Amino acid sequence: MSYREKLAWLSLLAMALAYGPYFVLITRGPLDWEPFPHLHPLGLFALASIVRTVILGAGYLYLRLGAPRGELSPLDERDRAIEHRSLSAAYYVLMAGMILVGCLMPFNSTGWTIVNAAILSIVAAEVVHYTLVVASYRLQASS
Amino acid sequence: MRQGSISNRIRTLRFMNGEMSQAELGQRIGLTRQTIAAIEAGKYSPSLEAAFRIAQVFNVPLGEVFQWDVKADPSKAS
Repeated sequence: MSYREKLAWLSLLAMALAYGPYFVLITRGPLDWEPFPHLHPLGLFALASIVRTVILGAGYLYLRLGAPRGELSPLDERDRAIEHRSLSAAYYVLMAGMILVGCLMPFNSTGWTIVNAAILSIVAAEVVHYTLVVASYRLQASS
Repeated sequence: MRQGSISNRIRTLRFMNGEMSQAELGQRIGLTRQTIAAIEAGKYSPSLEAAFRIAQVFNVPLGEVFQWDVKADPSKAS
């Protein structure tokens, strides 16, 4: 498995571990004992972002230090093509999400519901991006 | 449009050039070992520039590295 593919796996893992629990907890709402219930989503989002940053930082260091010489070379044309293709697909997911959030949701939703829908759109776009990166490397892998 | 696929002789040419490794070939033309492996296996078609660079490393014309294999057109079968 190439270094770039490992980075994509790491990004997917960080996304799942940080924002998976976030969306589960956000649907449950604030707990009774919380002093500032309206800050519940903000606190959870901050926690999710910190968890993601820590996982990415630790994973990046681990992969970089463990990568054999030559694996850390700059992106070549195939890496750039894979990146370009995956980002193009992710762009459409993000665009669809933003149209939903910005043009439709204001008519029937408010506040944190809209914010969380926007966050979900961004997360979905990122997941599509990294999933396509992994899939492309897997499909083209030969050794 | 006639159907076809690109094949290559990179593995053979590497062998004929002192069993050059995929990593060495990649290093000489600015591609990763994984990309050379994908090109060799026919899973990735390189850019024209990369194709010319590969041919230059082996000191052969482009046509000796890459070939276009035309598939038979089933509609014209007699």
